[in-house]
Amino acid sequence: MLVNDWDQVRSRLRRALHAAGEFVYGMTTYEWVRDLRQERGEVEHLFVLITFGDIIGLPILPPYYTLRLLPYVVPLINSWKRSLLRERDWTDLACLIEGIG
Amino acid sequence: MNSIIVLILGALGLGVGYFWYARRIDQDIVKPDPQKATPARMYMDGVDFTPTSRNVLFGYQFKSIAALGPITGPIIAVQWGWLPALAWVILGTFFIGWVQDYGAMIMGVRREGDTMGALSYKLISPRARNILMIFLYFYLLLIMGAFGNAVGKVLMTNPKVPFGMLTVVLMGILAGQMIYRWKQDVIITTIITVVLTFVGIWISTLPFMSNIFSGLYGLPESPPWFLGNTQAQVLGTLLVIIFCYLGSVLPIWSFAQPVNYVSFWIVSLGVLGGIIGLLIWRPGMGDFPAFTQFTTASGPLWPMLFITIACGAVSGWHSLVSTSGTARQLEKETDALPVGGGAMFMEMVFAVIAFLTATVAFGSFQGYQDAGGAAKALAVFSGGLANFLNYVGIPREFGVAYGSVFLTIMALTIMQLCVRFMRVASAELVGEALPVMKNVHVGTTVALILTLIFVWVIPWLTIWSAFGASNQLMAGLALLLISLWLRAEGRKNEWALYPSIFMIVTTIAALLYLAYNNFFKALPAADTAQKSIAALLVGVIAMVLVVAAVILIADGWKALQKPQEKKAAETA
Repeated sequence: MLVNDWDQVRSRLRRALHAAGEFVYGMTTYEWVRDLRQERGEVEHLFVLITFGDIIGLPILPPYYTLRLLPYVVPLINSWKRSLLRERDWTDLACLIEGIG
Repeated sequence: MNSIIVLILGALGLGVGYFWYARRIDQDIVKPDPQKATPARMYMDGVDFTPTSRNVLFGYQFKSIAALGPITGPIIAVQWGWLPALAWVILGTFFIGWVQDYGAMIMGVRREGDTMGALSYKLISPRARNILMIFLYFYLLLIMGAFGNAVGKVLMTNPKVPFGMLTVVLMGILAGQMIYRWKQDVIITTIITVVLTFVGIWISTLPFMSNIFSGLYGLPESPPWFLGNTQAQVLGTLLVIIFCYLGSVLPIWSFAQPVNYVSFWIVSLGVLGGIIGLLIWRPGMGDFPAFTQFTTASGPLWPMLFITIACGAVSGWHSLVSTSGTARQLEKETDALPVGGGAMFMEMVFAVIAFLTATVAFGSFQGYQDAGGAAKALAVFSGGLANFLNYVGIPREFGVAYGSVFLTIMALTIMQLCVRFMRVASAELVGEALPVMKNVHVGTTVALILTLIFVWVIPWLTIWSAFGASNQLMAGLALLLISLWLRAEGRKNEWALYPSIFMIVTTIAALLYLAYNNFFKALPAADTAQKSIAALLVGVIAMVLVVAAVILIADGWKALQKPQEKKAAETA
């Protein structure tokens, strides 16, 4: 009985520590990770625009190269189209300004 | 009253507010469904829409909303006495603050990750979005003016601060190089840069270093130089402007981001040390009055108190952050309450601690006044924090310099991001008509010149009131949007509508008071060109905000009258 209780306490402690670790990560380096993801996403979207621009009426690369790249680009097409066509305004950038209160 | 009792009251507000009131609304009215796909899961693109753990998001949301606002507001507001300030912080968060943050977040989640701009376009009217954009630009200018004023004209004029601030900047740059260029471990980078920053702050308190800046500032007299500002104020402000310029034009990884990171640790360690010192010391308020008088230097208690404390009780900016950032990363709908509501209640606790630095750290009302009072709120905070830190063994002289550097860097990290935002906004707004505005340096310079005008010309308490009013007006409008959305979904909306009415009426009253005061009192009494320009600027901005708010409210009222038609039109 005591062993079970102790195991429960340890498991709760582990979960609490994990949650605290995630909280600190959210306050510290998560922002860096987000910025890097953003950077990578923008480069990827530019790449798809150059290679598959004809989907939206911009025939930039000859179709031969486009077809060779097709297997690499297919997984990105849906999110690329949604991201490219999504209407944006300044309020999209508001989350970049931290700490106004 | 003892500080521990104040902390217990804050904890009670958090406990009852979060675990009873907020949970009831969440479970009985909004009814989040953990199985329902959130925008983060539906539109996952690894960029904006990414499902993220609620613990990580809680930290992210808290860091995004809590900074200088919840510190400054309560310290200014205690000029009406401790009771109104404390009551507004706790009750404002209880009935309004969390409602706005949580409501905006869950609305963003249910409306496919739409931001406030898109939501105002769809739920109110097409012109509502354009008005919101103009409103936002003014809002950012006021933030720049308010924070620039507090830092450039008060904190940076202390000769023991600038070297500490420069150290934080240099260590931020070093952190960026270590991580991105030299591929060093984050923990090692953090330890090296944070330790060196503390050494820099200590050096800044040494006589030889403060003598250098005293000489530069022309202290102890510091003669008037420009527009009634002293040599120290002009040079202090210019240092701030140079920092913001670099933050706006340099790549974000090399300057803004690592400086933010290093300053986070400097600030967090200071807050933690301050809380421990407070708990060891447990001081009382002494003769600090519960209520001083109805009308103070900032104006009458209603409506001015309610805009003086914005962040810490309720802040419109949170709705923008909640919709554009956090709502797009929520893994489950049920995470909205702990992340949105929870972070707001945590910010309330932060505001209570700032409140204590003004009320208990000096032992009396006279002590608060001597430390700078409402006119030098940030100096009060650094002095109060130094008194708390003294109880964990940190010498008071170092504590004051540390507190001042911590506040300076806190304001500067926000300001550099605001300038980046304003640069993008001006390129979008007038870039087609004036292509030169698309140039990074031109856009930044224009934003900084406008900031300088605000900082050098407008008095601190006036600009803080204007900033607070615009912030609270945005909160009222966000709450109106939440009410509209709830009505369109056929849910009870009184819990958002009544706070919305209160915030809108109070804020418009405050803006009218500001306009009246500036046009009919400050302007006729102005004896210099600087005072006349200040009165005109504030009066005009207040009226522009009132007009924008009235149009938005009129459109919102129309939308509120026919939610069913609107819903049908949207579906079609």
